[in-house]
Amino acid sequence: MVKSLSAILASLVLLLGAALFEWFYVGDQFDSFKEEVETLALKAEAEEANIEDAKAVQSSWERRKEKLHVWIPHNDIARIDEYLAEAVRLVGEKQYAFAVSKLEIILHLTECLPDTYRPAIENIL
Amino acid sequence: MVLVTIRTAIIFIVLLIIMRLMGKRQIGEMQPFELVITLLIAELACIPMADVSIPLLYGIISVLTIFVLHEIMTLLDLKLKPLKSFISGKPSVVVNKNGIDDYQLKRNNLDVSDLIESLRTAGYFSLDAVDYALYEANGTFSALPKQDYEQMQTSLPIVMIDNGKYDQKNLEITGLEQSFFDGILKEQNVKNVKDVLVLTADGTGKIYLQVKKHKFSTFNVAYPGGKSW
Repeated sequence: MVKSLSAILASLVLLLGAALFEWFYVGDQFDSFKEEVETLALKAEAEEANIEDAKAVQSSWERRKEKLHVWIPHNDIARIDEYLAEAVRLVGEKQYAFAVSKLEIILHLTECLPDTYRPAIENIL
Repeated sequence: MVLVTIRTAIIFIVLLIIMRLMGKRQIGEMQPFELVITLLIAELACIPMADVSIPLLYGIISVLTIFVLHEIMTLLDLKLKPLKSFISGKPSVVVNKNGIDDYQLKRNNLDVSDLIESLRTAGYFSLDAVDYALYEANGTFSALPKQDYEQMQTSLPIVMIDNGKYDQKNLEITGLEQSFFDGILKEQNVKNVKDVLVLTADGTGKIYLQVKKHKFSTFNVAYPGGKSW
């Protein structure tokens, strides 16, 4: 009885701990990344962004995604990868209007992806 | 992570309810919740293993959730009697001194032929060889034989009427006519064959007859042309 209760409690603590960590960590990673993308998008809109700025955001994302792979399905990460790679290329080619549209998609993804991991009814069912 | 835990718990509860509703037929020597765990755990472990796009942690979290649910179910099973019957079910007495309990068979999605099969597997070939027979909560079959049951099993009883219908194949095997049994039913004041739960005949002429919602009876008849098997 005591052994079972301890095992249940220990497992629940682990599950709860993992859930809370995921909640804050994934949210925090996407929030920080969103700020970087927003800055790049503003620069691109003002036609002031250059390839170094875009590559800096991409490198930052590469670092983050290594850790995010542990927590979220890799297909979701791949969606941001694809749009970001295109945005970097477009900024490099100074096609700012197209680059901004790609960055807007990334911004949308950074908002909606963390929501798909939250314990809401629509995600459970 | 919370999603994986909640979804695993929901699937577990739904599967457990389905297994309980399916009755004893689907269970084999495991409690329903143990069977559900066995079904789930292999799948939950395999999916993240085979699909590299899913974090391995998802599989670990699911298995850990199953472990917690297993421990909780085991505790409830041991400590709370009312919940025990809900989680694991109760034994069903399908044969008593009045004969076959059709209601209990139906409750467990079983029929008379399933019962006869279980009896034969347990070594009892005649329906009147046992005083009591029951399906345990884990699906295993137990029977309490009559004291002199071995002397009752001198010939193999064959089912002639099963749940209101003649078994044409068995009639052919024995070479007996349907009209012969119609005559027996008439003698026993059974108006319609549909009222018969089971009628078996063995090679010595012993008939086991149980009319639905009535106590069984056994009697001896002589087969036409002195047939025996």
